[in-house]
Formats: sequence, C-alpha cells, structure tokens
Amino acid sequence: MIYLDNAATTKPSENAVNLAKKYLENCYFNPSALYQFGIDCSNDIKEAKEYILKTLGATNHNVIFNSCGSEGDNQAIFGLVKRGTFVTDKGEHSAVYKSFLELKNKGQNIIFCDLNKNGSVNTDKLFQIIKENRVDFLSIMHVNNETGAINDVALIGKKVKEINPKIIFHVDGVQSYGKIPFRITKDIDLFSISAHKINALKGTGALIIKKGLVISPIIFGGGQENGLRSGTENVFGIKTFQYASKEHYDSIKENYEKVLSFYNYFNENIDKENTITISNGNVSPYIFTFSVKGIRGEIMMHALEEKGVIVGNGSACSSKNRFSRVIEACGYSEEVLDGVVRISFSPYIDFEEIKEAVSIINSTILLLKRKMNK
Amino acid sequence: MKNAIIIRYCEIHLKGKNRGFFEKLLKDNIKKSLKDVDCTFTAMHSRYLIEDFDEIDYELICEKLKKIAGIHNFSPALVVENDFENIFEACKFLCKDKEGTFKVITNRADKTFSPNSMETSMLLGGRLLEIYGDKLKVDVKEPSFAVNVDIREDKKTFVYTDMIPCMSGMPVGSAGKGLLLISGGIDSPVAGYMICKRGMKLNALHFHSFPYTGEAAKEKVKKLTKKVGEYNGGINLFVVSFTHIQEEIHKNCPEEFMITIMRRFMMRIAEKIAIMNGDQTIITGESLGQVASQTIESITSSNSVVKMPVLRPLIAFDKIDIIDISRKIDTYETSILPYEDCCTVFLPKFPAIKPNLEKVIKAESKLDIDGLIDEALKNIEKFSF
Repeated sequence: MIYLDNAATTKPSENAVNLAKKYLENCYFNPSALYQFGIDCSNDIKEAKEYILKTLGATNHNVIFNSCGSEGDNQAIFGLVKRGTFVTDKGEHSAVYKSFLELKNKGQNIIFCDLNKNGSVNTDKLFQIIKENRVDFLSIMHVNNETGAINDVALIGKKVKEINPKIIFHVDGVQSYGKIPFRITKDIDLFSISAHKINALKGTGALIIKKGLVISPIIFGGGQENGLRSGTENVFGIKTFQYASKEHYDSIKENYEKVLSFYNYFNENIDKENTITISNGNVSPYIFTFSVKGIRGEIMMHALEEKGVIVGNGSACSSKNRFSRVIEACGYSEEVLDGVVRISFSPYIDFEEIKEAVSIINSTILLLKRKMNK
Repeated sequence: MKNAIIIRYCEIHLKGKNRGFFEKLLKDNIKKSLKDVDCTFTAMHSRYLIEDFDEIDYELICEKLKKIAGIHNFSPALVVENDFENIFEACKFLCKDKEGTFKVITNRADKTFSPNSMETSMLLGGRLLEIYGDKLKVDVKEPSFAVNVDIREDKKTFVYTDMIPCMSGMPVGSAGKGLLLISGGIDSPVAGYMICKRGMKLNALHFHSFPYTGEAAKEKVKKLTKKVGEYNGGINLFVVSFTHIQEEIHKNCPEEFMITIMRRFMMRIAEKIAIMNGDQTIITGESLGQVASQTIESITSSNSVVKMPVLRPLIAFDKIDIIDISRKIDTYETSILPYEDCCTVFLPKFPAIKPNLEKVIKAESKLDIDGLIDEALKNIEKFSF
C-alpha cells in the first residue's frame, strides 16, 4: 500500500509511541494528584508544553492541551470575542467555517473573504475588509487542507494589526505545524495544532495562546490546564505529541526538501493532458491537489485503492454537497470540481513509491477514460 | 400486582383448518425473537402471554414485538388475583395518568366470581370516579380509553387499558421464500418490509460496482439490509460485482438502453441466485412511472428475461407514501446518505423511457450474456444479519 492521504491523518511514529509508552504502562497517574507520581506527570506535561512552544519559536505564548484541532479552533473563536465583527476566508476547514456559521446564528456580524485560484486568501480584499469594518476577530488558516495553499500569516498579522491593533488574530496551523518552517510572531494571538497530522495520536491537540489574553473555557470541570480546559490530561497522547514533534522539527528542513521533490515529481509527471493542477503557486509541498477531467474524484479514489494507492478526494460523490465548498470558492467549473483528487505526502515515503504512485495514477486515468468514455 | 404483556394476532383468525400451522409459526417466531430475554411465554386461546420479565426489559420486549409480522397488537397488562379489591387497585394504577372519558369492560370467564360482569364494570367505574372524578368522565359509547378487566378461570385477572399496534400481516415463513433486490435507495427496503409483513422469508441481493461505487455504498446497503432483517427474523445479503457487466454494456450498446439492459442483467442474475437458495420469487422496489426504468415498457423488458414471478409491492405507491413507510421502519435516514449506487454511474443523458423489446434484444446481442453472468456468479459475497 502506498498511503498518500497524510493530510487526513498520519501513521503514528513507532519511535514516539515507544518513548511515550511508559505513560501507558507505569506513569499512569492523574497529573492533578498531589503525590509525587502525579506531580511528576504534571511536570512531564509542562515539559511537553515548553517543547512545543520552542518548536514554534514562541516566547510570549502559552499552550492549552486539548483533544483536536477542531477543539482549538472552537475555543479560539468562541472563547475570546463575545460579540462584534468576525472575519475569515472561504477556504477554512469546517471547524472554523461552521463555527462562523454558528456565530452568525447567534447574531454576530460575519464576513467571509474571497480566495485566490489556489485557495489562498485574497489579501487585497482581506485588507480592504479590515479597513472598511471595525473587525474584532480574524481567523485565517496557515496551510489550506484541500489545496495546500500557504497564507503568509505572519505578514497578514502584521498588516492587519497596523490597520487595527485591537483585532484578535487566530491561525489554524493544523496542516503546517511540523511541516512548514515557521515562527509564531507577536501578531498571532492564537494558533491551533493537532497531533495526528504529524505522526502522533488522534485525540490530542493544542491551542497556543498569547500571554495576557483572557480566554473562556468551552469545557468546564476539574480546572485542568489552568481552568481553561477541564478534563484529565491525556498524558500518553501529549507525550507522543511531544516526541513526534521532535522527530519532525529535528529534520524539518530536510523533510521539506524531500517532500518538495515528491511534489515536483508529481507536478512534472502527472498526465497533463487529462488533469488540471489546483495546488499551484505558493503552496505547501505536502499537498498536491489536481482534478481529472471527466472522471469523478470518488471513482478515481476507489480505482486507485484497488491498486494499493490510497488518496483523498476533495469532493464527496453525492448529489447533495457533491462539490468541495473550498475548491468551488477557488472559482473552478463544475467539471473541475467533480474530478478533484488530493494527494498528501509524508517525509517517511520513499521516492520510489512516489514514482510508482504517479505511474499507477496516470495509467488509471487512461484506463478509466477508456472505460467510461466511448 | 405483576406485569404481563398480552399479544394478539389478526388475520390468522380468518384461517380454517390450517390455523394451527400459522399459530405455531407465529409462536415460534415470537419465542425466537425473545430468546435472549428472561421471561415466560404462554400460548392461550387466540393470543399469547408474556410474564415474569424484569421491568427493565419491558421496552426491549415491546420493540421486538413491534417487528414481528403477524402480531396485530399487544397490551401491557397488570395481573392480579381474582379479587375485587385487587382488581380495583390495578385499575386505579393504570388510570393514574389518564385523562378524558372511559368505560370499564369486564370479561368474566370465571363464573364463580361475584359480582357479575355488568355489575363489576359499574362498581369499578364508580370507584374510579370517586378518585379521579376531577379528570375522568364515563362515556360508554365513545370513550377515549377502555379499562379492560379479564377475569380468568385460572384465578388470574388481567387489567389493561392500552393496545399498541404492531406490524399485523402474517408470520414470516408462512408465505414461502423470496429474493429482494436491494439498492441503496429509499424504495427497496420498504418493498422488503412489505413482503416480510405478508409472511415471506427473504434473502437480499445487491449489485456492487467498485470502483464506480465505493465501500461506503456497500456498508450503507448492509445497514439497510440489516434493518429489513429485523422484520424478517434475520436475513442473508448476497453482493455481486456488476462492474464488468456495466463496462461491457457501456462499451457495446447504445447509450439510451444502458439502464434497460442493466436491469435485464440484474434480473437474470437474481433468478439464478434465487434458484440456488431455494427462493421462489424476486422482489423489487419498482413503482410505476417513478423513473425511466420503471415505466411499463421498461418493466416488460426486464421481466421478459425471467420465468420466476416478480413481486413489486410498491408498484402503485406514491413516493411520498413510500417515504412515510421508510421513516416508520427507520430506513429513511440511511437511504438518503449520499453514496453513489450502481444505477447512477454511466447514467445516460437521455435514457429510453419506453424501450422497444425487439430493439433492446438486438442492442444486447453483441454481448456474451451467459459468459458475463457466469463471471459475475463466480464471486458472490455473503453477509448474514
């Protein structure tokens, strides 16, 4: 099997899981307990927080561990600004997009900014929105999960705060953390990340929050995480997250170069006649999204699955919600939307596998075209 | 006071000398359905009785009874000794949350019980009014509910107020065996339910078309079949790959006959699988005129390739009525899940609405029909629910 759906989730790192195993077998104590074993666990969580801040070069931020990227996005959106004008873009992950729709239901003023053709936010329009409205909250994703487009969130943060220093700026960093070399700047107030996208476990995530900001919890209870996220900490998940982060950050540049070579190979060798590349321009090399002309994404996905290549598809093959909301917002025609396939890489794939995958994809396109068109 | 459930059947009453066969079948079906519940089951004259169950299992038993074809209704009842005061206490308990008008109906099989039926009803009604007079009134002609008192010879009295309607129909197994063609849509599970209700034991057959349809579509069909199986005392699902047949039709036949020829292949394969499993008929969810493949010409074309009778229980149903039943049997929400089924891939822009049989036969003559069917039959997946 060649697994090319790493933007959906990744295989847990054996090394990271082994390192954290003692928290399953021996150090299973409640980190809130006052005996030494509990205090040790609590200190080990602190160590994980410090490590994660270090990976992002953050000196003026704190970490709230939680269950997933969606939880971080939700707390960021609902926890700080209670009312006012909220701005985001049309390419956001559902965790942000649907939270904004919920804000709208609750009577808040919501603005969705347009996208460029590759799925990045149209910054001219964004800055215009910020200038023309008294915006209280802005959420922009770092890397688009469907197209891989990179938003220069450091620059966006800087410019936005120049226009209106009071804006709270949230960045969904789920697809960039551990993959794109990046430092959290002072203009980024909130940054959400998820463990299972970087070879750690599902069920662990974190919200990075600038010191001094007063955020409300969305889960109440025993007062863990300084009262900001109750619920007994998932120590094993958190430590696996830390160790997997370390693996990624220790070789983030080499990984980037390696994955870039995968991206380039795909970009150069995919059947140009029968596909349109959507991941163009300033994009993360971890994601390569294209559309096959005249073949539905889901059919492509199943046909490749049969040949041992696992890919993601941007569009669900159904009459309802058939097309990806995000790719549609990029301004593509229905024919393009119908055939969207997302390839997403991991640095732990061999180049030979990439070559084989491209060859299988190209031959599958031809085979399906022959079978489906007379 | 003990809890009991009185179960009644309906159409079996109309049977003559073979009535015993149907009664036994229904009894066996009920016993089988309740095999994991700790309770006692007794067959009485024209009805069945469930007793000695834990109160916590009551809802579970009700849910199971509602899915057994042949049961007309059941009543949750209280069982007391044949003693007036005890009977009154049971009536009082059952009426505590009731409002509106009522009457008491007494049936006194134990003729040693005094007072007589009429007097018992009057006395109980009077006593109930003394307590609940502020919310209950007597109306012997059109009461909003009746308090039924069954005083039996075995010194037990059953008191009940509610009759909970069930599936009705005939016990499964009394009307032979059939093969249901099941897609992922709304209609076919309903068709299966309707035929179960008439007492037929079902198998199901689904055509899968990987990679044009995915695993999620198959999972959806499995879920739907399992639901139908709940009304059928379990069910087997056969899944046949239709991919190559579809590709061949697409390649070799005129586009407008795509669906018509597909349906003919499905019927041929269904008949063969039905024969293999001892099924006597094929059941489809077709409804006249609903889509292009369900016109009388299309049905004629697909019907003409099989000798076995084809039952179409929904043929005269409107879509809206089919949807109502699918909601009732809890298949609707699954049916509308958005996964492709094999009818919707290779869909021609303009399908033949009234296919001419001769033209269809000519159109499919280029295909190796027997070869394709044999190939499809080599790989049958089977799931039992």
